[in-house]
Amino acid sequence: MASPAPAYASNDGVIDAIRSALGAAALDVTEAVGEIFVTVEREALVPAMIALRDELHYQSLMEIAGVDWPDQPERFEIVYCLLSLTKNHRIRVHVWTDEDKPVPSVTGIWPVAGWLEREVYDMYGVLFSGNADLRRILTDYGFRGHPQRKDFPLTGYVELRYSEEAKRVVYEPVQLAQDFRSFDFMSPWEGAQYVLPGDEKVKAPEAKGAPTPLTADEIKKADAAVAAKAPPSTPKTTETKAQTGAGEPANTMAAKKSPARKANAEDGPVTKVAKPRAPRKPKGEA
Amino acid sequence: MTDHVAELEAQVDALNPTPGDVEIQNYTINFGPQHPAAHGVLRLVLELDGEIVERVDPHIGLLHRGTEKLIEYKTYLQALPYFDRLDYCSPLAMEHSYVLAIEKLLDLEVPLRAQYLRVFFAELTRICNHMLNLGSHVMDVGAMTPNLWLFEIREDCLNFFERASGARMHSAYFRPGGVHQDVPLKLLTDIGDWLDKRMPELFEDAISLVADNRIFKQRNVDIAVVSKDDAVKWGFSGPMIRGSGIPWDLRKSQPYDVYDRMDFDVPVGTRGDCYDRFMVRVEEVRQSARIMKQCLRDMPEGPIASLDRKVVPPKRGEMKRSMEALIHHFKLYTEGFHVPAGSVYVATESPKGEFGVYLVSDGSNKPYRCKIRPTAFSHLQAMDFMTRGHMLADATAILGAMDIVFGECDR
Amino acid sequence: MGVELQPAMPGAPPIGTQPDQAFFQDLNGELGDKGFLVTSTEDLFQWARTGSLWWMTFGLACCAVEMIHVNMPRYDLERFGAAPRASPRQSDVMIVAGTLCNKMAPALRKVYDQMSEPKYVISMGSCANGGGYYHYSYSVVRGCDRIVPVDIYVPGCPPTAEALLYGIMQLQRKIRRIGTIER
Repeated sequence: MASPAPAYASNDGVIDAIRSALGAAALDVTEAVGEIFVTVEREALVPAMIALRDELHYQSLMEIAGVDWPDQPERFEIVYCLLSLTKNHRIRVHVWTDEDKPVPSVTGIWPVAGWLEREVYDMYGVLFSGNADLRRILTDYGFRGHPQRKDFPLTGYVELRYSEEAKRVVYEPVQLAQDFRSFDFMSPWEGAQYVLPGDEKVKAPEAKGAPTPLTADEIKKADAAVAAKAPPSTPKTTETKAQTGAGEPANTMAAKKSPARKANAEDGPVTKVAKPRAPRKPKGEA
Repeated sequence: MTDHVAELEAQVDALNPTPGDVEIQNYTINFGPQHPAAHGVLRLVLELDGEIVERVDPHIGLLHRGTEKLIEYKTYLQALPYFDRLDYCSPLAMEHSYVLAIEKLLDLEVPLRAQYLRVFFAELTRICNHMLNLGSHVMDVGAMTPNLWLFEIREDCLNFFERASGARMHSAYFRPGGVHQDVPLKLLTDIGDWLDKRMPELFEDAISLVADNRIFKQRNVDIAVVSKDDAVKWGFSGPMIRGSGIPWDLRKSQPYDVYDRMDFDVPVGTRGDCYDRFMVRVEEVRQSARIMKQCLRDMPEGPIASLDRKVVPPKRGEMKRSMEALIHHFKLYTEGFHVPAGSVYVATESPKGEFGVYLVSDGSNKPYRCKIRPTAFSHLQAMDFMTRGHMLADATAILGAMDIVFGECDR
Repeated sequence: MGVELQPAMPGAPPIGTQPDQAFFQDLNGELGDKGFLVTSTEDLFQWARTGSLWWMTFGLACCAVEMIHVNMPRYDLERFGAAPRASPRQSDVMIVAGTLCNKMAPALRKVYDQMSEPKYVISMGSCANGGGYYHYSYSVVRGCDRIVPVDIYVPGCPPTAEALLYGIMQLQRKIRRIGTIER
């Protein structure tokens, strides 16, 4: 490999060894990007881990990571990173689950799993059956929700402030002075998923009878879609007079003096309507 | 007379109470979250029997900043400075894992000079980190002077970082594909002189005050002994596992960058107590200096970052002349580069142990998931069984020898 | 090493110049003559307050390291009479150094409430000033001034030790300028 990443023992023969050691419990053993990962059936996790530890000498559990794939039938992927000190090799064990189905805990095999599982529970809400101490670990006491889920907003739902009336810190709904700016850099000719403002007209012909590549059925659907489309939501800009404070000129004398200024004041601020774009779906997770 | 005898007997009874006489209750004390010996914002709930610690429940997350979530909303390059701020005592070691993970996914080749520079500054970071840890450890067990001297070394290190990258602490110096900019020759010669003269003088002086000191040994020897089995079971790494006598160093066993060309020794402890961990770190500083000298000797000339313009932005001079370079620069600093879909777990030997990054990419310009494997997480979890049966005052020594930084532990 | 003595700036007195001797001799003569000095109580209070700003170590994150550095021999904050105190009851100024997270905020307020009057707060680093790099996170307080009133903001991520030193000197200036007996 060209990249200077850590080089450990070769992967030759490891896949076969894992297959023979785990048997039917291993749903899939893959090598990708120079790393071997095995997808294991959820119920068979503990015996599989014991087999990996005792037969294949992966003595150390270094990490348990969770990944949220909302499109998958079971949305959470739990990744166990194992390390063999004697063979100088690493593998990953993947298990799939959802919000309700608990994953068997591996705290009986490695005590270090206690906190690692607590963290996955805290971040994703994945349950681990057999973990005696499944409390939240990183988030605030009394926190609601599971922040690493893809549907949890980055800024959360609440924020903290000291209240002089209550003489203690209180939680309040989050209010941002400026929204988090996220730009979509995908160029329109590289398979963008959204439609630029104005581009929706391309689909249906301007006037009935104009030449179009669409079939009649498609035009009918496009028309219906345009009709059914809800009006665009109010854009979050501070451009109305009430918000900016740039209302009528307060000093009428000053307004009258200069004809140019008067004309401007009557025109009012130019209102731009920014159309909110649909969030682009991540590629390659289908 | 009989009255007097009865009175005396009662007094003797009071001096030697039998188990039924007095009821002794365990009590619970709260340590932190604001405590100078907590090395940050640790909160410990300690259950004590007299002065003996019965149980420890560490509460962490008081510095949980949501780094992993924020990384998912930034491009790969924008997310890099978050790694500096994870373990703020050894910033460059954190970046190292992250850039290696990106390079592994991209399968990107890195020029030799860049690899040498990375190893060089990673080892400088190790010295810098150990100065803080050794200094605060000796301060936690009662010595003051060595800390002042060790911080003088640290101050020099920060000056070197500033001269290399422009920032004293959060350098953001390692970039995917290489390093940010070349270092001037004067800086390398200055660091060479420093390694030859000033650093060993100050360091050996400071360590000679504590290494054979009777008080220091009484506070550390045989405190929190961890066996080899326990070290493996609790996922120890770095000086913690080496202190327990397992010669496991990722720089040696799973070399990355140019560590396979370096000649250095891996110190191991014999008993697995706090003193061993301290001495392992002391020896690591000397070995780091050795690696740095080899880097200075062998470092070749050449480019300091990959020439792949789809990942590494061009230099400013090139941008002034080439339209294409200008376009690349604009694209890389707005959209960023795209990383092919896949997932890797890359771990490097940070000064505190194995620091890993599990990076999942979906082919876009932002990480789909970036799980950070902190070293302190598994070490702090072992605090309970390590402290059990020791005195309350030993808790600070154990904590000091663990080398915990909360930016990394809580993320 | 990194620090080299530069030749003095034009206009500045050369290195090694003694402070204004006449002033001190006047003062000394007055004291020797009468045996006491006369000043206003306000001046006395401000002198006492600025001269011994014992600060509370509230190291939270990265900035805490720079806060330690400013105490160490090279910058030596104790020259200015500012010494670290671990106990809130004995300290005058709290330096909030680092990201303040939701879980930590009640503790910060509690420590602030325990400090005795007059008390000052220095917010150190962009995270404490306004959330900084972590502004949009779900678990970060967007500025420690949401929890405690702040006197001096020191910008930077992290501010260098010199910047913090300057911030403390600015606090001394502020106390001198607006100080009254009752704060």
